[in-house]
Amino acid sequence: MGLRDDVDRFREVGEARRKDLADFIQYGDLGRSRQKEIQIPVKIVSLPGFEYDQRDQGGVGQGDGDTPDVGQPVGQPQPQPGEGDDDGDEPGEEGGDHEYYEMDPEEFAQELDEELGLDLEPKGKKVIEEKEGPYTDLTRSGPDSTLDFERMFKEGLKRKLAMDFDEDFLRELCRVEGITPREVFEWARGENLPVSMAWIEEAVREIPDEERGKWGSIEEVEAEVERESVQQKIRREGIKHVPFRREDERYRHPEIIEEKEKNVVVVNIRDVSGSMREKKRELVERTFTPLDWYLTGKYDNAEFVYIAHDAEAWEVSREDFFGIRSGGGTKISSAYELAAQLLEEYPWSDWNRYVFAAGDSENSSNDTEERVIPLIEEIPANLHAYVETQPSGNAINATHAEELERHFGESEDVAVAYVNGEEDVTDAIYEILSTEDEPES
Amino acid sequence: MSNADRFHKQAIASELEEPVEEARNLAEQLGLEPYPVNYWIVDHDEMNELIAYGGFQSRYPHWRWGMQYDRQQKQDRYTGGKAFEIVNNDNPAHAFLQESNTLADQKAVITHVEAHSDFFAKNEWFAMFTAGRADDSVDAAAMLERHARAIDEYMSDPEIDRANVEKWIDNALCLEDNVDQHRVFSRRLDLAVDPEEVIDEDLAEKLDELGLSEEIKGEVFDEEWLEKLEAEDASVSFPEEPEKDLIGFLREYGKQYDEEAGKATEMEEWQRDVLDMMRAEAYYFAAQKMTKVMNEGWASYWESKMMSDETFAGEDEFINYADHMAKVLGSGGLNPYSLGFALWEYVENTTNRREVLERLLRVEGISWRNLTDVVDFDDVLAELEPPGAIASITSDSLDALEDVEDRYVDPEALEAARSGEIDADRYPWKVLTYEGLARRHYSLVKRQHRGFLARIDQNELERIGRYLFDDARYSSIEEALADVEYTAGWDRMFDVRESHNDVTFLDEFLTREFITENDYFTYEYSQATGGFHVSSVDPADVKKKLLLQFTNFGKPTIAVYDGNYNNAGELLLGHQYNGVMLDLGQARETLKRVFELWGRPVNLLTIVKELDDHDVEVARRRNREPEPEERGKLLRYDGDEVTIKDVPWGDVDHLAASDVDYDTKPEEWLA
Repeated sequence: MGLRDDVDRFREVGEARRKDLADFIQYGDLGRSRQKEIQIPVKIVSLPGFEYDQRDQGGVGQGDGDTPDVGQPVGQPQPQPGEGDDDGDEPGEEGGDHEYYEMDPEEFAQELDEELGLDLEPKGKKVIEEKEGPYTDLTRSGPDSTLDFERMFKEGLKRKLAMDFDEDFLRELCRVEGITPREVFEWARGENLPVSMAWIEEAVREIPDEERGKWGSIEEVEAEVERESVQQKIRREGIKHVPFRREDERYRHPEIIEEKEKNVVVVNIRDVSGSMREKKRELVERTFTPLDWYLTGKYDNAEFVYIAHDAEAWEVSREDFFGIRSGGGTKISSAYELAAQLLEEYPWSDWNRYVFAAGDSENSSNDTEERVIPLIEEIPANLHAYVETQPSGNAINATHAEELERHFGESEDVAVAYVNGEEDVTDAIYEILSTEDEPES
Repeated sequence: MSNADRFHKQAIASELEEPVEEARNLAEQLGLEPYPVNYWIVDHDEMNELIAYGGFQSRYPHWRWGMQYDRQQKQDRYTGGKAFEIVNNDNPAHAFLQESNTLADQKAVITHVEAHSDFFAKNEWFAMFTAGRADDSVDAAAMLERHARAIDEYMSDPEIDRANVEKWIDNALCLEDNVDQHRVFSRRLDLAVDPEEVIDEDLAEKLDELGLSEEIKGEVFDEEWLEKLEAEDASVSFPEEPEKDLIGFLREYGKQYDEEAGKATEMEEWQRDVLDMMRAEAYYFAAQKMTKVMNEGWASYWESKMMSDETFAGEDEFINYADHMAKVLGSGGLNPYSLGFALWEYVENTTNRREVLERLLRVEGISWRNLTDVVDFDDVLAELEPPGAIASITSDSLDALEDVEDRYVDPEALEAARSGEIDADRYPWKVLTYEGLARRHYSLVKRQHRGFLARIDQNELERIGRYLFDDARYSSIEEALADVEYTAGWDRMFDVRESHNDVTFLDEFLTREFITENDYFTYEYSQATGGFHVSSVDPADVKKKLLLQFTNFGKPTIAVYDGNYNNAGELLLGHQYNGVMLDLGQARETLKRVFELWGRPVNLLTIVKELDDHDVEVARRRNREPEPEERGKLLRYDGDEVTIKDVPWGDVDHLAASDVDYDTKPEEWLA
C-alpha cells in the first residue's frame, strides 16, 4: 500500500488501455504527434460517468481585454470552473492531458516491431569517430591506475602453483633412515615437485641427528604423513603468500574502435497532382508518417527529404508536404530525378537510404518504363517503395504500381504496396518494412 | 526522515508557532469560528503526495491517486507550479505547509487556512455530512484511514481477487457524483418502504394461489377493483420518489452479476462494504465540490483582511505576499479564488451600502426619489471614515482610544497594551473589539470601493425605499449616520457563508457589472461550422451558462425511477433533462458499470437532440443553424450489449423540465 504502488498501477492501467498501435495508425489522429514525441491515445483512463454532451453544453469564456463579437469562433472549449477534483487548494489546478500516452520514436519502433512482427536491423554506415573502446589492450608500462591487478594476481598465483611444493612433507622424507639428499630429490622429481637439489641438501642438513631414522622407509612416510596440495596450502595460508613479480605487471590501455553511426535518409515523394484528392492524400499521410517515426526510432540519425511532384518536382518542408495540392499532370520520373540529385548529399557509402513514393499510380505514358524504372535501378538504396492509394478502385490508366511490380517482381529492394483504405495501412507498412534488402555492407 | 530534515522542519515549526497562535486570535477577533487546526511542515514531495491523495495522508489503494500524482509532477515540471497549502475538512482540521515557502507565504497560508477551517465548521453543506451523527464529529482522516486499511485487507485477502476489488471500486467511483448532496448523510440509505412488499407482489398469481372459484373472483374481485388496485400499485412504485442517491440505492438493493452462473447473485460482504465506503467518501467530499467558489473566495477574503489590512505580514514580507496574492487571484478570470473573492466583496459592499442608504432614507425630507440629489456622497463617506485612533494604532497612540466609543475597544486588552503585555505595534488589533475591527476595515471608505456607494442605481434605491420600515426618523444626515451599523457587511457575510452553496451564491451575487467588466461571454457549438462560437455577451446568458456548470456538480441529474422495471427486477434510471443532452458514449459506458452493481439489466430514459443529415446540409447552405429535434430514448444494457431505442414522448415527458433553458444561441447567429 502506498502512493508508489498507486503510481505503478496507474502506469499499468494506462498502458493497458493505450490504443492498440495498429488501430491508432489506421484510424487514429496522427496530427497530435510530433516527430520526436508520438502521442498515442489512451483508451479512457479516467472512469466514465454521467456527463453532459460537451457540444450541447457550451460554456463560458473570458475575453482577452475586451468582449469578443457574437459569432466569432472560440476554438477549443476553455477549462471551466467547477470542473476538477475534490480538493484543490492550489491555484491553477487544471486537467492534464491524460488521455494521451507519450511515446518516443524508439519505443514506437520497438512496439511496431512487436505488433507487426518486424525485425529491421539498422546498419551502421558512416564512421563518425574513432572512439576509445574498453581498456582491453595491455602494455608493460603505464599509469598506476591502469595497472591490471587482476592479471598480475592470476600470474602470481599460477607461478606459485608451479613453484610451490609441500615443504613439510619433504622434510619428513629427510628423516627416513639413511636417506640421502639425492634419493629425496629423485623421489620429488618422480612426483613432479618443483624443488631444487640445493633446497633438499639444506633441509637434510638442518634435521637434528636425533630425528634421523624417524621413519623406516619412504613408503612408511607416504602412509603415515598427510600431504597437502598447493591448492590446500594457499587456502590455508591465504593469498598473501602469492608472490607478485614486476614481470607480471601489465597496464591496460584502450582499444581504438570505429563507431559507426546509424544514419538514414528517407526520401518521401508524393504525387500532388489534381487527381490526388483528399482521401488519397490522407492515406499517404497515414502510411508515410508511421514509416517516418519508425525509421527515426530505429536509426541514430534520421534525415528526411520531402519531394512533391506533379509533372515537375520540387522539394518542400515537412509541414507543407501533406497539405500541398496542385493542378498539373503527373510525371513521376521528375521526382526521382530530383531525388537522385538531392541524395548526392547523402553518399551511399555513409547513409542508409529509403525512397518512398506515393500516388494513385497515374503517370504520363511510358514514363514509368522509360524513366522511372531506370532511375530506381540507378539510385542505390536499402529500399525503394511505391504506395498506391486508390480508395475508389483502379483507374484505367493508373498502371505505375503494376508496371513496377512486373519489372521488379520479388526483388528485395523494391516494394509495392496498395492502400485503398485505412484498413490497408498496416499491411502496407509491413510489406514495405519487411522487404528490405539484406545487408551487403 | 533524516535528522537534519527533522531539525530543519522543527526550526520552521518553531518559527511559525507565534504566527499560528496570533492568526487564530485575529481570526476569532474578526468573528471567525474555525475548527482547531493542526499544522504540519512537509517537503515538496510530501506535498505532492498529499495533493494526490486529496489532502490526506492515507487513502485506499487505487490508480487514480497515482494518476493525480503523475499529473502533479508533470505540472511541476512544466509550470514550476508551487503548491502553497493544503487544508482538509476535519475537526481538528489538518493543514500542511511546504517547508520551502517564505515566511510571508507561510503566514498567508495560515490566515487562508484559518478561514477555510471556519468555512468547514460553519457552512451548512458541510454539516450535511456530520449532522446525522450523534457527536457532530467529522472524523475524516480517521475514516479515510479506516477505509484505506479495510480495502487493503480485501485486496490482500487470498479469497478475494485483487483485480475484482479494483474493478468494484471503479464501478462505484463512476457514480461518485450520483449522490443526493442536498440530504443529510446517513450511513445507510433508508427508503422507508420495504421494496419486497411492493416488488414481489404479483397480484394475479396471489389470487390464483387463493384457489377461489371464477364466480367468486368475478363477484368480489371484479375488473374495476383489480384495476383500481393495480393503479394504486403503480403509484407505490419503488422507489416512491425518484432516488438521486444511486450508490446508496445500489448498495441496498443491488446484486452482483455472477459471470459463471450467468445471473444475479447477492453481493459479497466486502462488496457492500466497499460501496458503503465509497458512498461515505462521496458524501464527505460533496460539500467541498459544492462550495468551491465560496470557500476559496472566503479564504482569500479573510487572508487579505488579515495579511494586508491588518499587516499580519511584516512590512518586509508584504511585497512578497502581494506578489503571491496577485498570482493566485490573477490566474484566469473565472478561477474560484478571484471569482469568489470578488463576490464576497460584493456581498460586503452591497450590505454596507444598503445599511447606509436605509439610514439616510429615514432622514426627514429624504426619499428614494430625491436621495441622490440631496445627499453628497463624499460628505457621507467622510463621516463614515473610522476615527483616527482606530484607523492607526501604535503603542504611542493608545491614549487616543480613550475618546473612542466603548463598543470599539476592549478595555482589558487596552490595559494590557499599556502595560506592555500586548505589543500594540505588532498586534494593534488586539485592543479592538469585533465592532472596532469592522469600523477599522469598513469597506465603503476603502480606496478601491469609494465609488460603490454613489454607484447605486435608482431601481435599487427605490426597492430599498419601498420596503423600509419607517420606524425611526432622523432630523439630520449626521444623526442618521451615527446609527450606522458598521458590522452589517461582515454580519451578512457570516450568514451567507452559513447557508449558501456555489449555485445560490452565484445566482444571488454575481452581478451584471462583474460579468461585463471581466469580458465574459458564452459559447455554443455550431452544427453548421462544426466549431464553437461566441453566442452571447449578455450577462443574463453568461450567468445562466455558469450556473449550469455549478448545478449538481456540473453534471446531469440522474435518478432511480424504478427498481422493478418491466416487473422483472430491472433498474430504470431517468435523466432529468434540462435542455442539455447526455454524452451518450459516456452514458453507455456508465450503464455497463451500473449493471455490475445491479446484476440485472439496466435502463436509462433520456432525451436527445437529433439532427438529420439533410437538415444539417440545408442549414449549412443557408448559413444557419439546423433546428434539432428532441426525442425520447431508452438506453438498455443487458450484460451483453447496449441498445438504444426510440420511445414515445409520453414516456419521457415527465423528465423534461420546461422552465429552464440553457441555450444561449441567438436567432441570427452566424449570418
